[in-house]
Amino acid sequence: MKKAIVIFTAGLILIPLGLLYYKAKVLNLSLLPQMVDDVWNFHLSIKPKGESRTFTFPIPRPSPGIKITDEKLGAKGSEVFIDSSSDSNLATWTAKEPFQDKVSYSARIDLSPIIIENIPKDYTVSYPKGLKKYLKVPELSPEDIEALESLEKAILEGNEDKTSVVRKIYYYVEEEIRRNFTRRTIYEALTSGKGSPLTKAKIFNIMARRKNVPSRIVVMVKMPDIRPGVDNGKLRFTYSNEVFLSNRWIPVDTNSGLFGERADTHLVIHRNFDEVEKLISKKYATYTIQAERAIINRYNRAEFSKEVLKSDSIFSRLSLYRLPLPLQTMFMTILLIPLGTLVLSLARNIIGIPTFGIFTPIILTLFFRETSFGFGMLFFGVVILVGIFERYILDKFYLLAVPRLSILLTLVIMLMMGYTLFSADTIISQKHLAFFPIVIVTTNIERLSIMIAEEGLFNTLKTLLGTLVIAILGYFLYAINALEMLMFTNPELLFSIIGCLILIGKYKGYRLSEFIRFRDLVKQKKRLEASSK
Amino acid sequence: MIFKDLTNMGILGINNRVGRYILRHNKRKNYPLVDNKVLTAQRAEAWGIAMPENYIVIENYGSLKNLHHRLEKYNSFVIKPAKGSQGNGIVVIKEIIREEKDGEVELFFRRSNDRLMNIEEVKHHISGILSGLYSLAGQSDIAIIQEKIDKHPVFDDYSYGGIPDIRVIVFEGYPVMSMVRLPTKSSDGRANLHQGAIGAGIDLSTGHTNNAVIRNQVIEVHPDTGSKLSNLQLPYWREVLELAAQCYDMVDLGYLGADIVLTQDKGPIILELNARPGLGIQIANLAGLVPRLEKIRAEIPKNLSAKERVDFSMKNF
Repeated sequence: MKKAIVIFTAGLILIPLGLLYYKAKVLNLSLLPQMVDDVWNFHLSIKPKGESRTFTFPIPRPSPGIKITDEKLGAKGSEVFIDSSSDSNLATWTAKEPFQDKVSYSARIDLSPIIIENIPKDYTVSYPKGLKKYLKVPELSPEDIEALESLEKAILEGNEDKTSVVRKIYYYVEEEIRRNFTRRTIYEALTSGKGSPLTKAKIFNIMARRKNVPSRIVVMVKMPDIRPGVDNGKLRFTYSNEVFLSNRWIPVDTNSGLFGERADTHLVIHRNFDEVEKLISKKYATYTIQAERAIINRYNRAEFSKEVLKSDSIFSRLSLYRLPLPLQTMFMTILLIPLGTLVLSLARNIIGIPTFGIFTPIILTLFFRETSFGFGMLFFGVVILVGIFERYILDKFYLLAVPRLSILLTLVIMLMMGYTLFSADTIISQKHLAFFPIVIVTTNIERLSIMIAEEGLFNTLKTLLGTLVIAILGYFLYAINALEMLMFTNPELLFSIIGCLILIGKYKGYRLSEFIRFRDLVKQKKRLEASSK
Repeated sequence: MIFKDLTNMGILGINNRVGRYILRHNKRKNYPLVDNKVLTAQRAEAWGIAMPENYIVIENYGSLKNLHHRLEKYNSFVIKPAKGSQGNGIVVIKEIIREEKDGEVELFFRRSNDRLMNIEEVKHHISGILSGLYSLAGQSDIAIIQEKIDKHPVFDDYSYGGIPDIRVIVFEGYPVMSMVRLPTKSSDGRANLHQGAIGAGIDLSTGHTNNAVIRNQVIEVHPDTGSKLSNLQLPYWREVLELAAQCYDMVDLGYLGADIVLTQDKGPIILELNARPGLGIQIANLAGLVPRLEKIRAEIPKNLSAKERVDFSMKNF
């Protein structure tokens, strides 16, 4: 290779890598946006009852373990006010006319577990004024009081610290009262050993307060189990507690069996059931709760673009993160194409895998990506079938080439339509159809059918297999999210790809496939040489 | 390294062929002269190089209309795409059958594989050629109706169905390697190695075959006729090489494959030329191309006549 080409190529490959190093080490930019933890799309939809013109409902509030973004409060013709004066949020909708429609709350919520280890012994005697309301024992019926008193006698000794008291109450309520959804009074629950989550939370709450421990009932939503095949039923509010020990609120969940812990499956809606009991009762409003895992965008591009733009280097001005979001998404896909060509060049020129048309594998890969792998494969199968159909049936009609190709294209569209109509898989309807690959692949059908006639089914299938192998390889390459983000974040890497392509283009050595092709030649030649010696 | 044997034998690989020989020695502007057989024929006529006669050149669909009248007068012909490759799209008609029915003459065309085509099928095939089905890059094409060449009697026991042809690789005007391609039953009578024809290597100095392969496997006898494949002496050998060497002057392509057929009356004639000749010829000869190509690149003065170049090749390879 000429020296100039070597230097040029080395420059192309190394300069972008040097830039990456510069960005990472000197500018302290992260090379990839940070991964977003598992995030929930949370949605509350509420229909107030009655003729009221104002209407209040609890909504989630950012707090430890709960990150909230993209909060949206919607209702036609009303104003929303959020009261965040306590440690819970209440939204109040006000309208000129009584509410006709539903109001809604939606947000992206990122939950993480809370674990409080080592809760010290607590001998607190008096509490500040703000906590007094959490000590007030509600009015109880005589039989409830009797049942509670006898239980206290049975499980508590009377001289323990508050932490130990609370722990004992927790163990009793958690283990001795089985969860059940029929409404029961405290007396009934304690005597039957069964109680609803709310009843259990209430019992814990009252017992803690009777022992002068500030306590409250927390309204929560348990997020659905996303494992396949788990039926979560309708989402509803569930209840747990928080107790004030050693100057902090400690989560206690007698239903999930957690003391000093909150799992990342539970979202706190309100921290004082007493205040919202009326608001969330079905007499006041009907509501539905929805939550689903948001897993599409695992990288936090929004945060990262802030980081890039703030850095005020030349890169921030050239960054693709300045583009509007739809364009960003488009470039994410487009920037993968050169990577695909790299794989293709390697496969064809170094390995020697035969492919059908030059860029067909990449188009196929993009098609897999636009729709889904299953659908892409199905489409590929259909293309082969249509190719065979054309060879054995359409050929008998003696049609000119352009109308014949147009018939094939129409057939492919009909098949896609049929697939969409008769399949429960709605993948096509959700994403926009990739028109471009359809047309390209269809024109390849004609070549496929000729190849079947000219070179036989076996050779054709070999080539198709090669095409498919590269397309699948590309698909899995494209599935590497980090790679996509790396290219998008650092598009200067395209120069490195060009450099690599020059190297492949300059490769004059044998292809791996030629080792097989000339295998017999080598064998024969060696045999001849051996016999002549 | 697994490729050590290949390197030692000087086997030319695809990447090397393209990068070091085709790209460097073949000027792109001269490609049409070999890729378009109509242009090759024109050029050959001007140079006085023998090629099969073109009966009819069909450039548009309109001329298909009265095709049967024009075909009637021939006894046999070959339909070819002008820009085809690897023998794709070629139909050989060995006999035309006239059937009279209610006063109208109907033509049937017997292909070399004995299948019958009617005029509609012939027209359909030609319209496929015109629309570019068989052309190298899929662009629209021209169809050629050409004289059918008869097999030279020397090949009677060495060929099944079609006509054998001789491929000569010509580098900078010097023949460097040659093989004869013998059609078989499995190649459907075509002289195409990919489709299962036999490739038999030829000693450039003597013109007799030395070794034969079918689908990259060495064989001793023709699978259909049972004839022994080595030591077949090809007639007109020197003329064959000179003809191939002249093609370099004619089309000015440094790395060239000339396909030559032998006829009883006219001797060797050029069937077609190829700017990207395949590498299977090395297997047929059990020899690599690289040492021969490099010998020419290193040693040889330019501006020798075709005869002088053939002298060199016959002496050295």
